[in-house]
Amino acid sequence: MSDSLLIALAIGVAFGFALERAGLGSARKLAGQFYLTDLTVFKVMFSAIVTAMLGAFWLARLGIVDLSRVYVPETWLVPQLVGGLVFGAGFVIAGLCPGTSCVAAAAGRVDGVAVVGGMFAGVLVTGFLFPSLQSLYDTTGRGAQTLPQLLHVSYGVVVCAVVAMALAGFRAAEWLENRT
Amino acid sequence: MTHRVLAVLAALLGVLAVFAGTPYPAKLDVRALAAEIAAEDDHVTAIELAQWIRDRKAGLRIFDLRSAEEFGEYHVPTAKRAALEELVSMRFTPADTIVLISDGGAHAAQAWVLLRASGTPHVYFLRGGLGEWLDDVMNPVGASSDVAALSRYFGGLPRSGTPSAKTTNTVREMKRRGC
Repeated sequence: MSDSLLIALAIGVAFGFALERAGLGSARKLAGQFYLTDLTVFKVMFSAIVTAMLGAFWLARLGIVDLSRVYVPETWLVPQLVGGLVFGAGFVIAGLCPGTSCVAAAAGRVDGVAVVGGMFAGVLVTGFLFPSLQSLYDTTGRGAQTLPQLLHVSYGVVVCAVVAMALAGFRAAEWLENRT
Repeated sequence: MTHRVLAVLAALLGVLAVFAGTPYPAKLDVRALAAEIAAEDDHVTAIELAQWIRDRKAGLRIFDLRSAEEFGEYHVPTAKRAALEELVSMRFTPADTIVLISDGGAHAAQAWVLLRASGTPHVYFLRGGLGEWLDDVMNPVGASSDVAALSRYFGGLPRSGTPSAKTTNTVREMKRRGC
């Protein structure tokens, strides 16, 4: 097994552990997100984003991490919009997303196992149908875009804006949770 | 309480990020380097270098990239020997003016690209290498009075005549003369 696979395994285990500790293996907790009664998902995910973003920015700025070697996925507007809608619909119906379904399955929850099974079935069906989906898959490619390039501002400004959004979002989430 | 400390820390790091500059390492600006080369801002002539040395130009640092043996035989006054690998790992300040010398001009020109690519600002190479120094400073033929005076400053032997009559001087000849 290569070093990168070992590192990926370690990161995956740590990610799953953090999700389980945050209680995100429970579909009931995740469903609370959509009723605005329990915004744990929002807070956990946004905390992770802000932590990773600040870590990546400052480690790169201090010369410890080379950001130019970090892969930036390409943007495909319409396919990703469609994919996002399918993902969102599946999330609402199952009450679990891919990561949390794996956590739920690992914790022995039957609904988690069902969602993981459904997810792999979906991957298989998409694979079989891919030739007919190819035209949609290849449309509206925009290359590897980042917010600083798109908005013509510096990386630091985007970092600051995302942190501000997160802090305002956390405050709003607390307010919504306390209201109920 | 912990949440508030973390929120303050995140806010602080976020605000500081605005003033921290880009997190990406500096890229080689090929267009800028090409423009410098086209404008001939990449090299100095032997006469210019001689004037800089004589005038004790502030921050001037001359590096000779030839072998230790060749350097021992003869080198430009105030030059220090440096292997290419040593040179690229050296730290320079913006106040430094770096001049690179090799036997011809090619090796020094390669070193110029490496130093400029690593962000060192004021770098030049001696266009014709040590041969140009020997021809134009140490043994100028039919030079103006200023250049002749400059040559004599470095112990050179300016000669009268037409420039086409000049001979190519070698380090070995310089050594025989005791330079």
